Amino acid sequence: MSASLHLPWMEIAKTAVHDEARQHAKEEALAALVEQYAPTLYRVAFSVLRNAADAEDAVQEAFLRVLRHRDSLEEVRDHRVWLIRIVWNIVLDRKRRAKTRPETDDVSELARVLPATGLSAEETAAATQHHARVLGMVDKLPPKERQVLVLSAFEELSSVEIAAVLGVTESSVRSRLFRARNLMADLLERPRSVR
Amino acid sequence: MNSSQNQRVKTGTADSGEETLRVIANLPPPDGLVDRVQTRLRTAPRAGRVLSWPRAFAPGGWGYGRVVRGAAAAAIVCVVAGGGWRIYSHVQPGPSARVIVMPTPAEPTRGFSIGGSVHTPDPMRGPVLTHQVMPGPSEAGTPKPIPSQQHGANPAKKQGKGRKVSSAQPVDSQR
Repeated sequence: MSASLHLPWMEIAKTAVHDEARQHAKEEALAALVEQYAPTLYRVAFSVLRNAADAEDAVQEAFLRVLRHRDSLEEVRDHRVWLIRIVWNIVLDRKRRAKTRPETDDVSELARVLPATGLSAEETAAATQHHARVLGMVDKLPPKERQVLVLSAFEELSSVEIAAVLGVTESSVRSRLFRARNLMADLLERPRSVR
Repeated sequence: MNSSQNQRVKTGTADSGEETLRVIANLPPPDGLVDRVQTRLRTAPRAGRVLSWPRAFAPGGWGYGRVVRGAAAAAIVCVVAGGGWRIYSHVQPGPSARVIVMPTPAEPTRGFSIGGSVHTPDPMRGPVLTHQVMPGPSEAGTPKPIPSQQHGANPAKKQGKGRKVSSAQPVDSQR
């Protein structure tokens, strides 16, 4: 075969190889994202759902959505915030649907997952009760304030990133956080009057 | 307690509440989470591969070229346009739907119809005789009944009148 011979399928074959390589690269990039951010996404999901199985489900669903839109992965600037935003929307949706779950489930799940190093059984139970009470008050906050407060507990998220996750401005994040802290303080000081 | 102290106490209380959220935010993920997610992603059905193309038409096959795809597109256009032309050429245009057939009038010779009007006779004006009516030969010999006889022939009326008479009888007797 002469070197000057140029047939269309030669070009096609090259394109196909290129496509396959690109596909493989995308899958590897996705695997790297899972490796890097799955624990963070799990913690975000757990902070809202407070159930290990539900949180893991939410993480899996988030990555399945990423898999479906893996062609647009290159366009994403900050993968971490993007992924947190995806899982955040998923957990909020699930929380809205699963409102009927009794609060006792939350407490027992909390007792199971909370670290109890160096604490007696009684102290662990007391700590669990305290955390459950605080979480019950967090649930009483207005949704906007509650969301900012929950996300602000993640030390790795700045106010700019929280704003990006929630789709609001940074100043509104700050004002909401301020309001949320005041409301929490009021609730913790006189919890019965609010009920 | 002044406002700054009050604010400090509030901040301290809120911090104790946020501590719980921080504890939850820093919980370690369960073991094997990453592996499970990776497995799930590997086993997940890929979008767009539900209907898989034959190898020849898949990327890399001979049927994936620009020329072949162009020919396929042209064939689809031909089929669609040909089908449309066939239908268009076979369908005969029917009579114009704007022609409205009006019902023929009952008496077309007069020109105008009555327009739905109904003649109502005036009961106050009786019919006027224009000529003398002569009685027929059979009716000529028959005497006309006398009104008093006719009155007496009716028993019902007689009874009715009798009642009136009976009520008036005492008056007659009194006379």
